[in-house]
Amino acid sequence: MRTAIVFIIGLFLFGCGSEGISPADTAYVFQQPSNFPPATYTFENNPVTKDRFELGRALFYDPVLSADSTIACANCHQQVRSFSDPVHKFSKGVNDVSGFRNAPAIQNMAFQAHFFWDGGVNHLDFVPINAITSEIEMAESLSHVVTKLSRSDVYREKFENAFGTGEVSSQKMLYALSQFMNMMISADSRYDRYIRHEGETLTADEAAGMKLFATKCSTCHATDMFTDGTFRNNGLNETFAQDSGRARVTESADDRGKFKVPSLRNAELTFPYMHDGRFRTLQEVLNHYAHSVKESETLDPALKQNGALGIVMTDDEKAKIILYIKTLTDRNFTNDKRFSNPFLN
Amino acid sequence: MKKICSLLFVGVILLSTVSCSDDESIAESGPITLEFDNVVGATNLQLNTTNTPYTNAKGEAYKLTWLTYYVSNVKLKKADGTVFEDPIKSDGSAGYYLVDENDAASQEITLKNVPAGDYTEVTFTIGVDASQVDQGAQTGALDPAKGLFWSWNSGYIFLAIEGVSPASTETENVFQYHVGGYKADAASSQVNNVRTITLSFNGDTAPVRAQHEPEVHLLFDVNKFFNGTGEQVTFSTNASRHSPKACETLAGNIAASFVVDHVHAN
Ligand code: HEC
Ligand code: HEC
Repeated sequence: MRTAIVFIIGLFLFGCGSEGISPADTAYVFQQPSNFPPATYTFENNPVTKDRFELGRALFYDPVLSADSTIACANCHQQVRSFSDPVHKFSKGVNDVSGFRNAPAIQNMAFQAHFFWDGGVNHLDFVPINAITSEIEMAESLSHVVTKLSRSDVYREKFENAFGTGEVSSQKMLYALSQFMNMMISADSRYDRYIRHEGETLTADEAAGMKLFATKCSTCHATDMFTDGTFRNNGLNETFAQDSGRARVTESADDRGKFKVPSLRNAELTFPYMHDGRFRTLQEVLNHYAHSVKESETLDPALKQNGALGIVMTDDEKAKIILYIKTLTDRNFTNDKRFSNPFLN
Repeated sequence: MKKICSLLFVGVILLSTVSCSDDESIAESGPITLEFDNVVGATNLQLNTTNTPYTNAKGEAYKLTWLTYYVSNVKLKKADGTVFEDPIKSDGSAGYYLVDENDAASQEITLKNVPAGDYTEVTFTIGVDASQVDQGAQTGALDPAKGLFWSWNSGYIFLAIEGVSPASTETENVFQYHVGGYKADAASSQVNNVRTITLSFNGDTAPVRAQHEPEVHLLFDVNKFFNGTGEQVTFSTNASRHSPKACETLAGNIAASFVVDHVHAN
C-alpha cells in the first residue's frame, strides 16, 4: 500500500509541477495532422516516448536484427526514398536472396489498418516479425534476436531507459520499432500546405492535374491518405501466377490479383512502382492505366467502364496528373533528422 | 491550478485509504487447477516414440512429435449460476495459457483468487481471438518468440499437431496441422477458427475454499481430434496444413476432443 501512495504522490508532483511540455519534447509527441483520418494504432498500449523512439530508431538501422548481421531494416527502407527500396526491383535479403515483392514506403503507418501488399498483417507491431523471420529478408529467429540484444550492454541500457527494465523481450523490441515508425508522418508536402491553407499555391497545371486525378484516380487513391485502404486488381496481369496477392491471405479466388491500394504520397521518390516493381517511372504507370490494363475475372470495375479497358487520358492529361502527384513530395520528411541513421552522426 | 491539484491529492489519499480498509472484507477465495491431459483413446500420449503406436479411425498408424494449444478466456460457473472470469491483460501477460505436451508444468493451469463456491462447469477458448491480437505485441504465453505466430498472415497458431505416419506422402512421412485464423468479418471471406468449449463436471462439484485446492482433470483425445464431425482425417492427403481455410474443418473437431474426466475436490 505504501508504494501505491508514493506512486500516486509521484504522479501528482509530476502532473502538477510541469507547466506544459517544453518545445524540445514535442518532437516526440504523436501529432495528428488536421487533414488525416484518426490514427488506427493502439497508442494506449504503447504511448510514444523519446527513449522508446530512439531505441526503435537504433534497431531500425542496426543489422543485428538479421541472421548474419548484414541487413538492417534501413537497407530496404531508405529515408531519401521515403523509406522504400530505391535499388532493387525485388528487395534483396541476407545471402543476396531475392524477395518476390518490392519494398513499399514506410510513412503514415499509424493511420493504416492493413500492412503488406496483401494485407496479411493487421497491426504495425507484427510487421517486423515478418521482416526478421522471413528467409528472403533477414532470416533470423525472433528469440535469437532477443538473445543477441540481451547480450549487448548498449542495448540493455537503451531498453532500461525506454521501459524501466533492462530485460529485453520481443514485445519491447516490437513496441520500440512501432514507436519509430508511428512518428514517421509525412504531412508537409506542398499539397498539404495548400489544402490546409498554409499559404501554399499550386500552379495552373498542378491544379488541373488535381481535378483530373479526382475524376480518374480517386475512386481508389482516395482521401488525403491517397488510398481507400482496400484491395483491388488494377489490371497488371491476366493470371497472377507469380503472386496472387490478397488471395494468399484470404484463400479466396475472388481476391486473386488484388493488392492493397498504395498511398501516392512521395510517389515521386518511391519508384520502382507496383508490388513487383515493374514500372520505373510515373509516366510508365500512367501509360499502364491508359493503354495496358489487362482483363481478368477480378479486374476492378473502375478500370472497365462501358466495356472499355483502362482510363481514358490524353498525354497532356497524364503530364498534369504527374505534376500533381509531385506536389505530394515531402522533403521535410525525407530530410527529417529524427529519422536518420543514428550510427552516422 | 496548484490548489486544485493539492485538493485532488488529498482526495486521492483519502480514497486509497478507504479502498485499503475494504481489503479485509473481501470474500473468501482460493485457487483451482485445470489439468489438461493429452491422450490417445485410453492411453496416455507419448511423443517421439520410436515406432508408430497409434492408429486413427482410417486405420493409419502414426506417432506424434508435437502437440500444443492455447487455452484462454477461462470461465467457471457455480451451481447458483454465478460466473467467475479469469482476468485477461491486454498485453497477454495474464489469461492466456500455452499447453505444450513437451512441458508437464504447462499442462496444469492454476487460476488464483477464485471466489469460494461450488463450481460445476468450465468454459474455455482454444485460440487467440481478435480482441487480443488487435492489441499488438504480446508477452507471456503470447510472446511471438515462442514460435506460434504466423508472420505472413498475422495471428497465432491455436493448435499445432505434428507427427509421422507411413500413410503420409509428405517428405519423411510427416504430417503437420497448424490450426489458426481469426480474421473473419463481414467484409472478408476469411474464417474464424477460434473455438469456445463449455464442459460440465458431470454432476461433480469443484469446491473452491481458502483451504481447498480442487483440480479439474480434462482430457484432449488426439484420436477424437482426427476423427470428428468436422473432418475424418486421413494422413494420405493434404497432410501439411498451415493456413486458416485449410484447417477450417479440423477446427470443427476441436470441441468434441475435450472432455472432463473427473474432479478432485482435494
Ligand atoms: C530485404 C529487404 C527488407 C528488409 C531488410 C526489411 N523490409 Fe520491410 N518490407 C520489405 C518488402 C519487400 C515489403 C513488402 C512485403 C509484402 O508486401 O509482402 C516490406 C514491407 C514493410 C512494411 C509494410 C508497409 C506497408 O505499407 O504495408 C513495413 C512497415 C516494413 N516493411 C518495415 C520493416 C522493418 C521495421 C524492418 C526491419 C525489422 C524491415 N521492414 C526490413 C522489404 C524489407
Ligand atoms: C481501381 C482502383 C485504382 C484506380 C482507379 C487507380 N489506381 Fe493506382 N493503384 C491501384 C492499385 C491496387 C495499385 C497497386 C497495384 C499492385 O501493385 O499490384 C496501384 C498502384 C499505383 C501506383 C504505384 C504506387 C507504388 O508505390 O508502387 C501509382 C503511381 C498509381 N497507382 C497511380 C494511379 C493514378 C495516377 C491513377 C489515375 C490515373 C490510378 N492510380 C488509378 C488501384 C487503382
